[in-house]
Amino acid sequence: MKESITNLKQATSNVLETMFFEPVQFTGEADTLNDWLCDSQDLVGVTLSFTGSNSGSFVLLLPGSLTKGITANFIGMSEEEIDTNQENDTVKEALNMIGGHMLSLFDTEGKYQLGIPEIISENSFDVFNHKKGQYILMETDQDSLAIGFILD
Amino acid sequence: MAFNVLIVDDSSSMRAVIKKVIKVSGFNVGDYWEAGDGNEALEILSNEWVDLVLSDINMPNMSGLELIRRMQADETLKDIPVVMVTTEGSDEKVNTAKDLGASGYIKKPFLPEEIRMTLCNILGEEVSDERVDNELETGDF
Repeated sequence: MKESITNLKQATSNVLETMFFEPVQFTGEADTLNDWLCDSQDLVGVTLSFTGSNSGSFVLLLPGSLTKGITANFIGMSEEEIDTNQENDTVKEALNMIGGHMLSLFDTEGKYQLGIPEIISENSFDVFNHKKGQYILMETDQDSLAIGFILD
Repeated sequence: MAFNVLIVDDSSSMRAVIKKVIKVSGFNVGDYWEAGDGNEALEILSNEWVDLVLSDINMPNMSGLELIRRMQADETLKDIPVVMVTTEGSDEKVNTAKDLGASGYIKKPFLPEEIRMTLCNILGEEVSDERVDNELETGDF
């Protein structure tokens, strides 16, 4: 499990810095997001299932202000030009790249398969209060975000 | 001579990024076409002249690997080079794609010069990386 956290951190850093020009600092780890969610507002959430030797889902939660910024960085437009569809599509692709990159760090035989990323409705966020997983807490210059995985 | 490009990815944002990288790389591109999955790609290929395809693998409705299979089975499409641009990075997937006929394989996340160099090798065109580097300095492809 420790190796999975290390791989996830590496994948997250590589993707956010390379594709979104957004360096992150890792600030902690948790097995639920109860405390973190209490302090966070206006979040956008994405989930991405995986199957293989283990099955479960990746999850990415980040504030709306950050999604607009990384979308602008990603596709090369100003934040004022960005619409909600572009933001949602970008964060789904971000988790797709992070999940795929993480798996590629150890799954050389292609035993794992990724699903299609989906936006999580805000009404569903409370599942992370009690559903145990492995979550990594991160910060940019202005925002905090969380990424992790939950095993079935 | 200008060449026409088809970009296949279920993410419209990623299609925009790839298109932008190709644009600023200095290649002589005529038309850009975009598709959200293999089905849409085949529709475009049946109606438009395409010289190069860049495709993701993991897509709804029809995957990039199935798209290559269908193209290889079609006499009018089998010689169009296909470059995979995908998160699927296992050796198994790379070998499968190449065995099916993929001309190149770029793993996400990628640096713009990876696309530029792959296209240079496939198209036989030499373009300077100076433009790509200049665009990178502005945080933009």
